[in-house]
Formats: sequence, structure tokens, C-alpha cells
Amino acid sequence: MSIISTENLSKVYGSGATTVTALEKINLKVNSGQFVAVMGPSGCGKSTLLHLIGGLDKPTEGDIKIEGVSITQMPDDQLTELRRRKIGFVFQFFNLIPVMTAVENAALPVTLDGIKPADAYKRATKWLERFELGDRLSSRPDQLSGGQQQRVAIARALVADPTLILADEPTGNVDTRSGDEIAGLLRDVSKQYDRTVIMVTHDPRIAAYADRIVFLKDGKVVDETLLDRKNHGAAAVTRMIKEIGD
Amino acid sequence: MTVRHAILGLLAQKPRHGYELRAAFSVVVGGDMNWEVKPAQIYTTLDRLEEAGLVELASDLGEGDEPSRRVYKITTEGRVILDEWLSCGVTPEYMRDEFFVKLMIALVTDMADPWRLIQTQRSHLYQDLHDATRQRETYDPRTEMAQILLLDKAIMYLEADLRWLDMIETRLDEVRDQPLPEPEIRKRGRPRKGQTGSEYPPPD
Ligand SMILES: Nc1ncnc2c1ncn2[C@@H]1O[C@H](COP(=O)(O)OP(=O)(O)OP(=O)(O)O)[C@@H](O)[C@H]1O
Ligand SMILES: [Mg+2]
Repeated sequence: MSIISTENLSKVYGSGATTVTALEKINLKVNSGQFVAVMGPSGCGKSTLLHLIGGLDKPTEGDIKIEGVSITQMPDDQLTELRRRKIGFVFQFFNLIPVMTAVENAALPVTLDGIKPADAYKRATKWLERFELGDRLSSRPDQLSGGQQQRVAIARALVADPTLILADEPTGNVDTRSGDEIAGLLRDVSKQYDRTVIMVTHDPRIAAYADRIVFLKDGKVVDETLLDRKNHGAAAVTRMIKEIGD
Repeated sequence: MTVRHAILGLLAQKPRHGYELRAAFSVVVGGDMNWEVKPAQIYTTLDRLEEAGLVELASDLGEGDEPSRRVYKITTEGRVILDEWLSCGVTPEYMRDEFFVKLMIALVTDMADPWRLIQTQRSHLYQDLHDATRQRETYDPRTEMAQILLLDKAIMYLEADLRWLDMIETRLDEVRDQPLPEPEIRKRGRPRKGQTGSEYPPPD
């Protein structure tokens, strides 16, 4: 079943003479566990789409269903609850709290939720260790590289165990190498930990990590492509190297 | 030609037989899927190199007589040629672009929608980029850095091609508004100085 489906989803900003159509009749279905990249030129509506799917903003027209439940007409308190339980956000700027350690930052969503700090830290530590930050638990953001800070932010997005991760330009503020690490990590989040990940990027290199790329232009889906996960004979090469080694 | 020089280099490293040369070349280029050289090409090249006096049979190793078991070593002349090759720069093949030709043919024949062509190519390149990214991750940086670097190059090329497609897409209307390239055909006769172009009917 699709975890997300949108139906003629449209968003118009402003009113009167100064309206901007950010999204126009988007029909998108995303299967559970899929890693989707959303691409397109600046201003084509990528962030708007992510905000609508994440319930951060309301559509002008059309509908969004998360796990079959429409969120368009949902009362605010219910929507907030759904966001907290089911959706994790990652942004270009990591938005970590400077005076808090990595583990405190990553645990924040669940400590705010009233879970006992010891339990919250345990959960946060689990994700930080998976992201190879086990030895940086008590580092503060200014003691971490951009790539490491973003990994803390991804741990924070996952700490409440959401099924859906929405990432807006998660590699936009780090170097190429950290970008690769973060994209690879988001793919692991999808494949190894079975979460649905939707990631906005305009970097082809980063989009190539996904299972599927959706191309937006002027607020519409203009195309999409599925990427096969075949493994390109790397094992065969390894075997040959062994064979030759005299 | 590169395979010839690579064979010289692999023989400068140590004497090898044909079968082993093929396998060694394959490993250097990161596998047959990157650059496949058929055994027959190796043996023909070895014959030519032998004729030119750049390699010779290392008969003392006596591994047998069929082409795949004959052991070769490099000669002094071979080392000179190898040295020359190693000392000069290389121009990669960046002007011969099949997609570009396909797009041009689509425009002149009107037989395919250029926008669709671009999108098909984009999907194709994304699949390649996806595969290259995955393949890169299977290598161990502690022992296979050379392979990683080769894939880094492939990845950067693919990124550049994808960006180039975006650029074509934004300028395609301009291309279509301009006259499509046509060769200059002149009446039969001697070419005038400094002039290039084709003749019709073609000279025999
Ligand atoms: N709050 C807003 N009020 C008015 N217009 C807005 C608002 N937010 C976005 N827009 C407009 O909606 C359109 C889509 O914006 P959006 O931020 O979704 O684009 P984007 O694809 O994320 O671009 P970028 O790649 O630059 O981040 C743009 O024209 C933008 O100016
Ligand atoms: Mg945006």
C-alpha cells in the first residue's frame, strides 16, 4: 500500500494580483520503504510539496493521505500528533541547539514528549551509534563537522521512530564527501531500517542514491524514473583479483 | 593505442603469458564491464609487438606452446616506447558524443521528440550514476583506492553530462530557432584555398 498518496494537490500562495501557483495538481504515490528523490529547478515547488506532505502547511486544493488517512481536513491537534509520531524532518541547516550535546539534541523530540531522559538518551544513542557517532555523544554542535551535525539531525528525526522521513536539501550545506555519506545513510535508513524517505535535492550525485526520482517543473510532475538496484558485477572483479594474485 | 602500451607496461613489471596479461589488464581497468579486451586481441597485439621487436618470448620459462601459455618479456626497444608513452599527456575523448549526434539527427529528421530524447537520456544516465555509486561503495578504501578513483571519475563525468542535459533543455528552443548545421556543398572543381566542405558529385 502507498504510505503517501496525493490527489490533485495544489498550492497557491498569496491572493489577488500577486498569487503564485507553487504546486498544480500533483498526483503522487509513494510506497512504504521507498527512497524517493525530488528534483527540479529553483522555485519549482519542491519544498512546498514536502511541507504539504509533512502537514506543515495546508493545500489550496486536493488531498493528501498518509497511510490511507486524509490529513487535509484533520484538526490541528490531531495533525500535530500525527507529525510527532509518524514524520521526521531533516533540513539543509541542521538547527541543532548549540548548548546541548549530540545525544541531548538527538533525544530532544522524545524528551519534549515527556519520555524519561534516561530512556530518551538510550534511544538517541542507538541511532547515533548506527550513524558512527558513538564516540561523539557528548560533543556539542560546534565541536562537530557539518556532516556530523547533519547525522545528529537525522538521528533526531528518527528518535521518535517515525515511518516517514522528509529531507529538504539535506546535503546542501556540506562538502561532497559528507554529502555522499549523508545520502548513503538516508538510503540505509530506507533499506536497512525500512523507513520511507523523501528527499529534495538538486544534486544529481545525491539523487542517484534513491530508488526513484521525481522531476518537478513549474509546480508539476514532468517526469520520473525508477532506478534498479542491480549489483554491477563487483563480486566478479574481486574474484578475478584473487585469481591473479599468483 | 593504449592496450598495446598497457601490455608493454605489464610485461615491464614481469614476464607474463597471454592469459595472465588479459586478466592483469582487466584488473587494472576495474573489470571487464569497464573495458573488455578479448583474448584474440591480446594475442594479435603480442604478435605485432613481437614483430616490431618490442617484446620477445621468454622461452626459458617453458610453459608450453599454445598462444595462451607462451611467456613474453619486454625488450630494450619496448622500454623506450613505453617510456615515451609515459612521458606525454593524454586527451580524453570528450568531443565524440553519441547523444549529441542523436539529438541532432532527431532535430533534422523530426522523427523523435527532442524533449523525450533528453528525458530518456537523463533516466539512462541516472541509472548509470546509481550503478556507479553502488559499485563504488563495494570497494574497500584500504585496499582498492585505485578502483574507487576510477569510479569517482565516472561519477563526475555522469554528473557533468546530467548538468549538460539541463543546459540543453533550457536552450533547446534557441537551437531550434537557428538554422541546423548543413555542410557546404560546392560544384565539382579544385577546392579554393582555405576552404573546406564537400563536393558533389563526390570526387572519385
Ligand atoms: N510563503 C510563501 N509565500 C509566497 N510565495 C511562496 C511562499 N513559499 C514559496 N513560495 C513560492 O512558491 C514557489 C515554490 O517555492 P518552493 O520553495 O517550493 O520552491 P523550491 O522548489 O523548494 O525552490 P528551491 O530549490 O529554491 O528551494 C516559488 O515561486 C516561491 O517563490
Ligand atoms: Mg526549497
